[in-house]
Amino acid sequence: MKVIPRPSAGSSGRQRLRRLRGLAELLRPYRGRVAAMLVAMLAATAAALAPPYLAKLAIDQGIGERDADALTLIVIAFVVAALLYWAATYAQTYLVGWVGQRTLQDLRLRIFSHLQRQSIGFFSQRRTGVLISRMTNDVQALDQLVTDGVVTLLSSTLTLAGAAAILVALDWRLALVTFVATIPALAAGSVAFRYFAAGAYRAVREKIALITSYLQETLSGVRIVRAFGQEPRHIERFAELNEAHREVNMRTVKLNAAYFPAVEMLQAIGTAVIVIYGGYQALDSSLSADERVALIGTLVAFVGYLTLFFDPIQQLSNLYVTYQQGMAALDKIFDLLDTEPDMRDAHDADELSEVDGAIDFEDVWFSYDGIAGPDSGDDEVTWALREVSLQVTQGETLALVGETGAGKSTMAKLVARFYDPQRGVVRVDGHDLRRVTQKSLRRQLGVVPQEGFLFGGSVYENIVFGRPGASELEVVSAAKAVDAHEFIKAMPDGYDTEVGERGARLSAGQRQLVALARAFIADPRILVLDEATANVDVRAESAIEQGMRELLEGRTSIVIAHRLSTVIGADRIAVLDGGRVVEIGSHDELMKAGGTYARLYSTWAELAAA
Amino acid sequence: MTTFWRLLGLLRPYRRAVIASWLLACLAIVGTVAIPLLIGEAVNAIEDGRRSSILPYALAIVGAGLARLALSVPRRLVAGRVSLGVEYNLRNRMYGHLQRLELAFFDGQQVGQLMSRATVDLQAVRFFLGYGLVFIVQNLLTIALAAVVMIVVKPSLALVALIPVPFVIGAAARYGRFSRPALQEVQQRIAELTADAEENISGVRIVKAFAREREQFERFRHRVGRVFDQSMFSTRLRAFYNPMISFLPNLGQAAVLLVGGRQVINGSLTLGAFVAFNAYMLMLMSPMRMLGIALGMSQRAVASGNRVFEILDREPRISAPREPKKLPPGLGAVRFEHACLSYDGGPPAMADIDLEIAAGETIAVVGPTGSGKTTLVATVGRLYDLTSGSVLIDGVDVRELDPAELRKQVALVPDDGFLFSATIRDNIAYGVPDASLSRVELAAKRAQMSSFIDSLEGGYDTMVGERGLTLSGGQRQRIAIARALVTDPRVLILDDATASVDAATEAQIKGALAKVMEGRTTFVIAHRLSTIALADRVIVMEDGRISAQGTHAELLKDSELYGEIVEKGLPRLTTALSGLAANADETAERAKAVGL
Repeated sequence: MKVIPRPSAGSSGRQRLRRLRGLAELLRPYRGRVAAMLVAMLAATAAALAPPYLAKLAIDQGIGERDADALTLIVIAFVVAALLYWAATYAQTYLVGWVGQRTLQDLRLRIFSHLQRQSIGFFSQRRTGVLISRMTNDVQALDQLVTDGVVTLLSSTLTLAGAAAILVALDWRLALVTFVATIPALAAGSVAFRYFAAGAYRAVREKIALITSYLQETLSGVRIVRAFGQEPRHIERFAELNEAHREVNMRTVKLNAAYFPAVEMLQAIGTAVIVIYGGYQALDSSLSADERVALIGTLVAFVGYLTLFFDPIQQLSNLYVTYQQGMAALDKIFDLLDTEPDMRDAHDADELSEVDGAIDFEDVWFSYDGIAGPDSGDDEVTWALREVSLQVTQGETLALVGETGAGKSTMAKLVARFYDPQRGVVRVDGHDLRRVTQKSLRRQLGVVPQEGFLFGGSVYENIVFGRPGASELEVVSAAKAVDAHEFIKAMPDGYDTEVGERGARLSAGQRQLVALARAFIADPRILVLDEATANVDVRAESAIEQGMRELLEGRTSIVIAHRLSTVIGADRIAVLDGGRVVEIGSHDELMKAGGTYARLYSTWAELAAA
Repeated sequence: MTTFWRLLGLLRPYRRAVIASWLLACLAIVGTVAIPLLIGEAVNAIEDGRRSSILPYALAIVGAGLARLALSVPRRLVAGRVSLGVEYNLRNRMYGHLQRLELAFFDGQQVGQLMSRATVDLQAVRFFLGYGLVFIVQNLLTIALAAVVMIVVKPSLALVALIPVPFVIGAAARYGRFSRPALQEVQQRIAELTADAEENISGVRIVKAFAREREQFERFRHRVGRVFDQSMFSTRLRAFYNPMISFLPNLGQAAVLLVGGRQVINGSLTLGAFVAFNAYMLMLMSPMRMLGIALGMSQRAVASGNRVFEILDREPRISAPREPKKLPPGLGAVRFEHACLSYDGGPPAMADIDLEIAAGETIAVVGPTGSGKTTLVATVGRLYDLTSGSVLIDGVDVRELDPAELRKQVALVPDDGFLFSATIRDNIAYGVPDASLSRVELAAKRAQMSSFIDSLEGGYDTMVGERGLTLSGGQRQRIAIARALVTDPRVLILDDATASVDAATEAQIKGALAKVMEGRTTFVIAHRLSTIALADRVIVMEDGRISAQGTHAELLKDSELYGEIVEKGLPRLTTALSGLAANADETAERAKAVGL
């Protein structure tokens, strides 16, 4: 929820250079439109600057010369300028919107595909929320800059410069006097305002973020709040946070109350200076009546341009905070895009052709520590796997058993090549996994995660995820194969039922069944299955057991087993402890051996009988 | 319209400030409107060669500016204070109201929805009441006053000059009306996009495991495209209306030049008046636009106000009785009499339950999902009200007690082990905020958490929850048990976690439970045999009814459903693993940090 810009607005030259280069790169595909946009902007600014000058002409040429026809012509020019302004502003707004939105779209897609290229390790080291906020809050901050900001920023700057130039051209002495009377105070005030406003608005955002997270927490935990009857306390605390927000927000009110009326005041002073200087000039010299009228025309134009000069300054001050946030967001996005993916396919990686499914771990050592290298000693790093060597033959089901942290899921991840081992080799059908493309490996792999992660969308879409392009018949038969068809059919919209975000609208058991069907339809040669530990509904439990049996049939499978029935049903069992395989064999063999597994089994039997 | 008046009603506590800010605004307008008139007079003086008048007019302009400054600063301060005050009051009121609403209300609500009402909608209301109203009043007055001055100076020219005014206001208001829903739709689509991005990041392992990067990218691209399309729709609206709103006032100025210029030429208008008209047209551009924007704002505020009032108008359905009874001394005997409950006319979650639980007894409640286990135990602390029938604690109907008092005696341990982002001490002392440290320590000890807490560097002051130390499920649950014990309740309700924990933890939880159940009535929603084993009696629920009850042995014989539950609910293998690895804890933490 929070968008907290960097502590100071001051950014290094390198950062600025990167911003410019990054923006230029983003805009390059649309340079034609960007050029058109700039032309439209110039035209709009020119058209916006014309009216005061035309008003001056109307006074000089029309009224001064008593020439009604000239007046009509000038008014026509005036209307033409206004129409041009309309057309140019339309074009400008549209083009800025188009280019801006297209660029944001590209940026979103770039972040997305950049993230997709990163390894699993990358995601483990970072908080999901932070990554998501790059793609949402930060892009959003830029969006605000694009929609509200860019037009105002550029056209205000152009108008400001144009108005100043015209003032000088009309009467440089008058312009000088006016500037001297107003600009120093204006500049000082604006700089101070920007400085204080940046801090004040940041404080407001921080306080509102506190309110939001407090709301979030106490509403999510409303059951506990009620059960313990602690409502008054939370109401009180909330009021405190609310009060803190009000206080810091009052600072922004005060800043605005000081700055904007002061700018208006300066404008009045500027007007008075123009009247005095212009007026005395007109009277001092012995001018003709016509010349006097001409001077009055200049005076009118001056007052008009003064408005055009002051409005952009206020708008730019208003924009400053948005601009600052946008730039901070841009930096964070570029930071992300600058991280290189740490696990790429080798240059000469082969496409793994269809495999039979034999898996081979040869003296595999693996650690999640970034520092671990092939030569790291035993004590320097925490090894999640140590000298693991085992083979799984084609079509075999191997159950991995062991305590949390014994290394079961690490083994599973190495098979999918989510990580590379520091020492040793993992092979499929004799191919070193580091020598084949990740894609070709994973196409032949089915993974069933522990809690059945689903994507928002229909049940159908979630199953077909396993093999895009599968026919409806195949989807239904996959669901039937894993015993999911019945519950899906029983839902109001059948296969079209929306599962909600991450499948939240299904029960845990139903999610698992859909995940099984998804793996089934992929028809992988190798299956990596992490059995759910959560207790599901008794009725779903049987279906899941049945579905798993179907799924394992005829495939090479590595199962992180939690149910005893799964373990007993496996061809072989590997018992892991502290990253080592301590026992391996069939249920009967291991029972006969009377080792860890046998002890385990009897403990379980005791618990079951309790 | 009624919403509009109710919104105005929110200003009542600030009556005086509101009137003051409006008065200040009106007076400031006089300064604003005076300036073009003064410019005109100065021009007339110049034209006529009245040298001595120039300085006074210039000074008058500065004076008008100063007066406007002196009025605007307090006006902005007062209006800002009012606006923030309204936001503050309304937000507190809304939060307080949410805290009074019964639990059932939240079951049908998404937290995100409620949050957006408490933030986005409140802001809209605040901007309107604080600034929008003043804008409307101020800009209307500015336009009206300028119009009056212009009409007084030269009625025929004034009429021509003012023609665009209604069109500008109309266009601005129209834009306000159309752009709002269009922008909301953009937000909606961005929200979809966010959800998609979130899923792809949380589910990155699945995407990679199935090598579905391409397909997911296409899907995301489609969503991004939808955002683009809608953004462009809203851009086109803006591109159409904004320039039009700026263009129309130019026509008024052109009319002044054309008609006014001719009038000056034929001598029916002074040059000064002409200049003043010109200046008025310049000056009115921004009030016309602002008026339109403020009108759009008021439409938004009414819509937001509706959503806010919708919550405030929802009466709490559970409230304290007017004259609450005192709970007589007792050890927590609970009786259900013909207890029925259905949520919002749905099928009964509890159907005619008759049950008597002796003080000090431990009851295990088992049954499939949706069988009514959670509902049954929640009615004891009156988290939900029965549709009919009654629940009595030590002989008193729970509806006759003050809920705050009742809930001190009925403590809940939820299945998710929800903890607040606070220190361990604050979490344990949650029910009794002023509990002494020794009382907290005692509760932690009984929940078998004290040695763990002592091993932490920060001890009881260690932060937990979202922004603190990450605890395992078993640790969270034991802190939740300690939290329930601090109040020393007569009735303890334990919703056992569904996720399995390892055997060591399981044993610890079991040990903790056995201790804390002593001397009080306990309900356990049980999923595993080890917890069922702690109970004196087991109740099997199915479709809101008690389908069987008795001891474990009796039920194994009598209830088919119970047999099924026991068979499927056997401990997971992981549970059986204990003491295998010496360095398991270390690796376990690592595995958790890495996650799968």
